[in-house]
Amino acid sequence: MGRWTEIDHTADLALHIWATDLEDLFTTAARGMFQLLTGDVSIESSHQEFFSLAALDVETLLVDWLNELLYLNEVKGLVFDTFAFDKLSPTRLRAQIRGALVREYINYIKAATFHNLEILKTEDGYETEIVFDT
Amino acid sequence: MVQKQDFKALSAYVYELPATYDPRMRVPARIYGNKRVFDMAFGDRSVEQLINVAMLPGIVQYAMAMPDMHQGYGFPIGGVAAFRYDQGIVSPGGVGYDINCGVRMLASEIDYEEVVDDLDDLATVLYQNCPSGVGGKGAVSLTHKDLDKVLERGAEWALANGYARRDDVERTESGGCLPGAQAEVVPDRAKERGRPQLGSLGSGNHFLEIDVVDEVYDVAVAESFGLAKGKLVVQIHCGSRGLGHEVCAQYLRQLQDAPRRYGIEIPDRELVAAPIDSPEGQSYMAAMAAAANYAFANRQILAHFARLSFEQVLAGKVPDWDLRMIYDVTHNIAKVETHKVKGQDTKVVVHRKGATRAFPPGHASLPPVYQKTGQPVLVPGSMGTASYVLVGTEHAMEETFGSSCHGAGRTMSRRQATRSVRGEEVRSELHKKGIVIRSGSMRGLAEEAPLAYKDVSMVVDSVVGAGIAKKVARVIPVAVIKG
Repeated sequence: MGRWTEIDHTADLALHIWATDLEDLFTTAARGMFQLLTGDVSIESSHQEFFSLAALDVETLLVDWLNELLYLNEVKGLVFDTFAFDKLSPTRLRAQIRGALVREYINYIKAATFHNLEILKTEDGYETEIVFDT
Repeated sequence: MVQKQDFKALSAYVYELPATYDPRMRVPARIYGNKRVFDMAFGDRSVEQLINVAMLPGIVQYAMAMPDMHQGYGFPIGGVAAFRYDQGIVSPGGVGYDINCGVRMLASEIDYEEVVDDLDDLATVLYQNCPSGVGGKGAVSLTHKDLDKVLERGAEWALANGYARRDDVERTESGGCLPGAQAEVVPDRAKERGRPQLGSLGSGNHFLEIDVVDEVYDVAVAESFGLAKGKLVVQIHCGSRGLGHEVCAQYLRQLQDAPRRYGIEIPDRELVAAPIDSPEGQSYMAAMAAAANYAFANRQILAHFARLSFEQVLAGKVPDWDLRMIYDVTHNIAKVETHKVKGQDTKVVVHRKGATRAFPPGHASLPPVYQKTGQPVLVPGSMGTASYVLVGTEHAMEETFGSSCHGAGRTMSRRQATRSVRGEEVRSELHKKGIVIRSGSMRGLAEEAPLAYKDVSMVVDSVVGAGIAKKVARVIPVAVIKG
């Protein structure tokens, strides 16, 4: 089960993420990002979205994944809490996600950035830091 | 890790790290600021980010940081760097996600003392007419065709559609329309995000503010700008909303492979770049210009609704309730400009990431009204504190590619700020100072509390000390509208 902690950044928001495998990494990063946006709100998922992404490498795929979720949040007002992957490799994913309409936010995130982004393979799984422009 | 002693003080306001510090640096790195600003720069990773900028291909003179510098994500905020057009790169991360985030100021003949009792109503009406907040929809609705015209014509579109006066457009940097903008290279998703948002402030540090001129340093220049002690002014700070964010994100993604294809070494993936004259570089420049034009139109439309708000509340109560444009500056942009490099006029792309253009008197890019004075440089302070109006100088052209600071600059993370102060306390402090506030979020107020920022006066004294801008006037807030 992955976990995250918020790291101080002078102007923006940043997360340190630990995860057991790739699926856990993508899920944990998404959960951490939505917590930055909404705080600890509980939602009753009633909306479902499906999408596929392909990217150059795993770092780009992670940024694409988070930015796809931010896009869905901005245009549909949805916050997601359930993430399932029909397919997930370092360069491709096909996801089914579930979420709900949320109107109250504590932060706004413009985008997930590539700043110093490196996904490290560790003995316990994966570890990374991601900076969000706010 | 870079240390203070690695830098050399060139003057009381300029510190330089020689290019020999790291073999990957192509030019020295310079920090503009007094000793205190210089010391504060080492409180986060902004110096490291500045050094990374000095490593990018085609950079000329120095990688520079203005005194409001702080950590960003790629370039430091406050960063200025110019790249040769024929041999250099353009970097979407050097412009940032909020393309053409900027600020405009409008002057008035309204005496603060005459309208003290109307400020509450003014703030309420402005809050209603100028939408703000997360996901806020804009004040105008656009068809897909209209949006393409906004992207290609910027403030000129606003003029053609009744949201501007000719004078507004002339007093906007680059006439409110960057050349070379192409709607067709703006990703569909960016258009989808931007179409409902035109005419909205957004959230974060964006704001609309009514201020009163409380100090005039240069009477003649202030008069040319339309500024007089005791009169109200309006400031509008916002950018290109979701459209700009999506343009940046998509081009950063597309360019992830460009360093390998073009043999460019980059120290941080956020600094991915393409040669300016490559198809990718040209495509980004055209999309960035389109997003910049959207932002110019956005601030213009908000100015239009600010005028209507003033009319709604003050018509008949004061002799003249009009708001007259002083200037609109962009502070997140890459622009094609000609500057002297080693004595030669050289075509460059100047990246200003949280920095303001500050062109001197006589510069061909300035409208006739500012030929004698130089360009107004608008420096908003943190919420509830003073803001400054400066003017560009010849020395800025010689040293900083005609650039100066853009604000106070954060020193404290949002999280630290919310731990240090509550939104209610911030609001109460502002009330005590007689400042009316309208904000969608208490947490937002805490995050933007003055304690999270440098003292804007110290930042301004630093650019004035370095000779890259001159003081014209200071304004203090009386009503703040925040997302």
